[in-house]
Amino acid sequence: MKDDYLWDKTGQPDPEIQKLEEILGSLRYQPKPLELPLELPVSRRRNYLPLLAIAASLLLALVAGGIWLRARTQRAPQLHEAQYVVPPSPIEARKPEPITPKPVAPREEIVVNHKPRHRSVAPVLSKREHEEAVAAKEQLMMALRLTTEKLSLVHRKTQNPTPANQIKNQHRVG
Amino acid sequence: MYATADMLLMTAEAHAVDQPQETPVEAVLVRAVLSGDRDGFARLYDLYAPLVHGILLARVPRVEVDDLVQDIFLHAFKKLHTLRDAAAFGPWIAMIARNRAVDFHRRSRETVEINDDLRGSEAHDSRAAEILELIRSLPEAYRETLVLRLVEGMTGPEIAARTGLTAASVRVNLHRGMKQLRQKLGVMEGL
Repeated sequence: MKDDYLWDKTGQPDPEIQKLEEILGSLRYQPKPLELPLELPVSRRRNYLPLLAIAASLLLALVAGGIWLRARTQRAPQLHEAQYVVPPSPIEARKPEPITPKPVAPREEIVVNHKPRHRSVAPVLSKREHEEAVAAKEQLMMALRLTTEKLSLVHRKTQNPTPANQIKNQHRVG
Repeated sequence: MYATADMLLMTAEAHAVDQPQETPVEAVLVRAVLSGDRDGFARLYDLYAPLVHGILLARVPRVEVDDLVQDIFLHAFKKLHTLRDAAAFGPWIAMIARNRAVDFHRRSRETVEINDDLRGSEAHDSRAAEILELIRSLPEAYRETLVLRLVEGMTGPEIAARTGLTAASVRVNLHRGMKQLRQKLGVMEGL
């Protein structure tokens, strides 16, 4: 019974413990108001989910753009190549001739047809390929528009967080 | 439109009578504070200030305790978002208080004069201070439990609930600590 008094203050009181409680009670906590500085902001849980969503969306857009560009590059025809012209053999070229000054012909000649860069390849595409490219571009633009909309939504949510949890919790406990 | 901490608290308390497994009051208050309700933290302070006071009283000089209690709650307010389990506010703030007491002793080693001065101010206190010194000479686990029981007037189940210790541990600490305190008190009476 005395053990119960020490544990939860029930049962027969132990006089020695009661005396200790009485003496030590003078040291007990005296309630004082908490002094929180007014300018101290309320601690809030940091949510990294919006940042992760933004980063993932950007990465996705970049990957999609990269794939589209690569596919377009592979489809472009390799029409304009440098051509190597075999020159006539040196023996044929040096036939005995009267000693007359004559301009020396070049030993070999590389005919280079300056190949335009990929940017100007578009006119060479066939009509069907052009339509496919336009469709792919439209798809990419649509994906980018969707990503922009989602990013705006995430931004709005992070700027104006709705304290809906209170109502939710109240509903749960009530 | 938003439910205040008081409303949530009343609801939680009302349900706690019928269903002991419902959300603890601390969890409701912590969520309210994290939602921007500063009054919720004042309620947490009222609930847990005696616990923090007792933990500090078992470890640091009395004159320092009140200031440290304020410091600890200020720190807790700033860092509340780092508390993962809202229901574990008690064990969390108890750990902050223990760590702060360790920090206090680490710093006061460098300022011996101040420490001696504080000890002197306690020495001329009444018999309460003498008994408190005896309790402080006990092993750490016993002294904290005994201070919470004998000074702050908390029961064993309350100590277990607030500190996060098991009821069995608290019971053992109370009985063993009381046994050792009785021995020391007997020696003191004999002198």
